[in-house]
Amino acid sequence: MTDKLRGMLAAVVVAALAATVPAGAQTPAAKQELVVAIGADTYRLDRVRGDVALSRVGGPAKTIFETLVRLGRTYQLEPGLATSWEFVGRNTWRLTLRRGVRFHNGQPFTAAAVKWTFDRIAQAGGGTAAIGEGSAKIVDDFTVDITPATPNVRLIEQIVHPTYGIVAPNTFPGPATEAASRPTGTGPFRLVEYVRGNRLVVEGNPDYWGAKPRLQRITFRFMPDANTRVLGLRSREVDFAVAVPREIANELERTPGMRVVRSPVGQYEAVYIAIHGREPYVLGREKAVRQALSLAIDKAAVVRNVWQNNAIVSQTMIPPSMLGEHTRIVKGTPYDPAAARRILDEAGWRSGPDGIREKGGRRLSLVMVVGFPNAEIHRPFPELAQGMLRQVGIEVRILITPDVSSYETQLGKGEGDLWVEAGNQNDANPCFLPDLLFYSKPGARQENEYGLLFGPGPVFDRLIEVCRTTADPERLREVAAQAMALLIDQEAIVVPIAGTFNVLGLSERVQGFLPHPSGLNQGWEAVWISN
Amino acid sequence: MLPYIGRRILNLVPVLLGISLLAFSLSALAPGDPALRILRLQSDAPPTRAAVQKLRAELGLDAPFPLRYLRWLQDAARGDLGESYRTGEPVLRALALRFPATAQVAVASTLLALVISLPLGVFSAVRRNAPVDHASRIWALVGASMPSFWLAYVLILMFSVGLRLLPVAGHGTLAHLVLPSVTLALGGAATLTRLTRSSLLETLGEDFVRTARAKGLGSFSVIARHALQPGLIPVVTALGIRLGHLLAGAAIVETVFAWPGIGKFVVDSIYDRDYPVIQGFVLFTGIVFVLVNLLVDLLYVWIDPRIRIEAGRG
Repeated sequence: MTDKLRGMLAAVVVAALAATVPAGAQTPAAKQELVVAIGADTYRLDRVRGDVALSRVGGPAKTIFETLVRLGRTYQLEPGLATSWEFVGRNTWRLTLRRGVRFHNGQPFTAAAVKWTFDRIAQAGGGTAAIGEGSAKIVDDFTVDITPATPNVRLIEQIVHPTYGIVAPNTFPGPATEAASRPTGTGPFRLVEYVRGNRLVVEGNPDYWGAKPRLQRITFRFMPDANTRVLGLRSREVDFAVAVPREIANELERTPGMRVVRSPVGQYEAVYIAIHGREPYVLGREKAVRQALSLAIDKAAVVRNVWQNNAIVSQTMIPPSMLGEHTRIVKGTPYDPAAARRILDEAGWRSGPDGIREKGGRRLSLVMVVGFPNAEIHRPFPELAQGMLRQVGIEVRILITPDVSSYETQLGKGEGDLWVEAGNQNDANPCFLPDLLFYSKPGARQENEYGLLFGPGPVFDRLIEVCRTTADPERLREVAAQAMALLIDQEAIVVPIAGTFNVLGLSERVQGFLPHPSGLNQGWEAVWISN
Repeated sequence: MLPYIGRRILNLVPVLLGISLLAFSLSALAPGDPALRILRLQSDAPPTRAAVQKLRAELGLDAPFPLRYLRWLQDAARGDLGESYRTGEPVLRALALRFPATAQVAVASTLLALVISLPLGVFSAVRRNAPVDHASRIWALVGASMPSFWLAYVLILMFSVGLRLLPVAGHGTLAHLVLPSVTLALGGAATLTRLTRSSLLETLGEDFVRTARAKGLGSFSVIARHALQPGLIPVVTALGIRLGHLLAGAAIVETVFAWPGIGKFVVDSIYDRDYPVIQGFVLFTGIVFVLVNLLVDLLYVWIDPRIRIEAGRG
């Protein structure tokens, strides 16, 4: 086992230990009510489904709706509303549904509900699973066939995402403002109250088919400001605060009566280098420049100084737990400024009068675009990287976009060399990120700005096509690792910086909470309050 | 008086036309594509170029700018401000739902600012260069310099975390209103205190005040009956502008206190390029400002008899 892998596993174990019930005889409080401070009320009406709105909130959606297949804490598949599934050929999966399940409105859960939900997903665009009109076919009341609109063997790994949560048929008929008051799923909690911009309250579902939730009620309070969430925790107004800012986490940990819990890695920060840019954004086309960039960034320093140790150095971008043994296929790049200088020297980039390298009269000056999903999350990485790259003779001009719309526009125009992004893994498909961002076959169904700017080309695309068509999970992980190795080690198009944790603050009274690396898939059934 | 009010309300039309055109132009120039944002929010995958183009066409965003503006104007004239791209709600309804929370905190903080600043400003002017005046000027300087988000955190730390007297955030009870109102009031009160002081000092030097004193009226009587009323005109102007601003939402304070007002909603709409909401908000803000200014003008008439005569003649 490599030191790197050992370090990653240690971090996972530490996070898990920190999250489990502390030793000692804790007794449950009489009142099992939890108040959770979450982010802004992102309620949005999907014009077709309505329920998608709630799934964006993360926690609350997961309490109300359930998916056919669940995503475990190490990204493994677990039975949900489907008890088993098999690939029956011709791009079709057959799922056997759980019996004896009822929606919160008393309606029985059958294949008709799956068809109703999937037809609406199709109308809303189909998502990554490529659900089309008529993709879901009822075989009998408890058996359903799902055939994606395009060849896609990854369906089962994809439908763990909460946007594929099953909705009670014929709900959400009303206008937007009424819709959120009636989300009806099969989950362990059911909706009691939704007050726009203020709170969403759920109560335990006594008829839940699985382990009964220990909490009687959860109040999710919308608090857009992260500092306010932490202050709410410190004032005991809330028991739980999500997305604790990394600058506060360590201090909060020292506060009596408080705990800080960190999830296993499920998110990443990375730099993508444009290899298909147009003038003047063409320097990333040169492999030597990309390799030098990759070697000149001290990732450990970023983890320490930017992420305040709420992250690990990650060389894979994909959460390491997803790749298993195959993680070792991705070597990553060490911090080696001397090697970076050597590579640039060999490529003919010579130091200019101000220390910035030049070749053929052109300065080695790059534009770093920062703004996805927002600029704040990266601060002060751009400045730190700017200093590190200057050490090897690369000039970086930082462009902070005011919001994600501006970032997307910038990306669409391809006006930048380096693109700093943070993202997360919310399904069980290890090829999700490489497929989503770097597949670039011309005319492909999912052709988007990322593939056009960063796509490595046919060799990579063939690996992704294997990902899409192999039914062997081990082969899938291996190919995903090979695709990442191509992006990171061979082509140096992606410079993974850090694998980051969800940081959560909670009162010591909160027990049984197991943080999920994918915040959207966080479950609350096992949580309870001690005296 | 009524024709004057009628004329002022008629003035609304060109003002609103002007600002709506400006806002429309700025939206068109700003980077970002609403169709792309909607699709990003709806799906777990970045949308394809084709999907973005299709939605742009559905939303009418592919039409030329003048045509889009004229269509919007036509609908707005019928009272239809369109639907929010993000939430699907009618814009008018979305704004109306959030306005009461904004109005609560705007009115409460304005009244509070007035209650603090008026006596302090008067006292400071009357006791010019006395220790109380110096203290009041220092307070005004400090109050005006404090960023509202910083003040908000300090107040939460003191009254919610430390003393546990008031809720950290939220909306619904009188207790929830206290901290956001105080946060907004303190900054405003500082400015108004200085304004009251300087305006009153100027009025105290006027001939009619000297005459009142020569008639043997007491100090309180001179200030309360003669000097204060005309001295309030600049204060009322500043108060009107401030109220107009607050009624248009206070995004930072709303964010910190999780106050479900119009400010945060509109800022999010700007981030997501939700054009119908932005347009509706600009129109709404224009109306609020014009009406508040009208109210301020009417208050002038009540405060200063000379203005009454001019308004009557006009």
